[in-house]
Amino acid sequence: MGWVPEELDAVIHAPARLRVVASLAALGRGDEVAFPKLRKLLDMTAGNLSTHLRKLEDAGYVRVTKTHEGRVPATYLSLTETGRTAFADYQAALMDLLKGVQG
Amino acid sequence: MSDPTSDRPEGTGDAATLDPAETLRLIREQQAAARDAMEPDGRLLYGVWGLAWLIGYLCMWVSARDTGAPEVWAGGVFSGSIVGAMIFTIVHTTTRTAGTRGVSARVGVIYGWTWFLAFVALGVMLGAMADAGASPEVMAVAANGFASLIVGLMYIVGGLLFCANQMSVVGGWMLVTAVGAALAGMPHTYLVMAVAGGGGFLVMVAVEQYLRRRRGSSEPASARAEGGGLGA
Repeated sequence: MGWVPEELDAVIHAPARLRVVASLAALGRGDEVAFPKLRKLLDMTAGNLSTHLRKLEDAGYVRVTKTHEGRVPATYLSLTETGRTAFADYQAALMDLLKGVQG
Repeated sequence: MSDPTSDRPEGTGDAATLDPAETLRLIREQQAAARDAMEPDGRLLYGVWGLAWLIGYLCMWVSARDTGAPEVWAGGVFSGSIVGAMIFTIVHTTTRTAGTRGVSARVGVIYGWTWFLAFVALGVMLGAMADAGASPEVMAVAANGFASLIVGLMYIVGGLLFCANQMSVVGGWMLVTAVGAALAGMPHTYLVMAVAGGGGFLVMVAVEQYLRRRRGSSEPASARAEGGGLGA
């Protein structure tokens, strides 16, 4: 099929994490989204989302900021520059594969 | 739960079943959903302000055309339209951006307050002009011209702040409207505000819809350049 997953970033190339990264990439640089808002947007369970976020954080793609709003703990997520670059490269690799398939 | 195999990045689970085209489509759809959840919808904001200006200023024009100056009922419709659009803008924007923080949120708060302060200042200045003996005609020309001037400058600045060129174009058009409203004189200054101002906003509803559709179909081509987008 010309579909060679080895060419693609394995950290991003999983539907759930791809959706996480795509959503965070829609944020402006310097912006963060709260965990509950992201969870609702993705319609994932908190545990599942946490697992994927940890993998992305370990890869250096996602920044997890833990803070307090009043007395309530809050967690904010954003893409790192590394994450943005990796996502851009991933999309470019997809485009190359697509061209390969069509051509 | 949506992807039980994804804990094994090296595995060939769900991901391998998606071909590149499907994956790119998934990205586009997810980013559109993310923007809808986190950013105000330009179509709604332009639509609400377009209607508010069109209805409000048309009533002012109709009423002023008949009697030389707007009547109380027209002033009421106008004020109601503007206040309604303001409330909608504040509720819509705060609802959409709730749960996000950072540069855009800080800029957005200052931008919102600047609108408010500019129009408070305009109100005070118009009051002072009336006290100093300005005629209703002078008041109407000044109110419409200065209001469009503020709107024009704020949209140009907004376009720069939020990286939205179309917003700066609206601002430029509103400066044209300001000049037109000032030159038209009574009572046609209100007609210029309704048609050029309100109509300009309503044209933007179609422009936003077009940009939205284009972004939804061509984003992968510019993926590397955008790196996932600069935001609003």
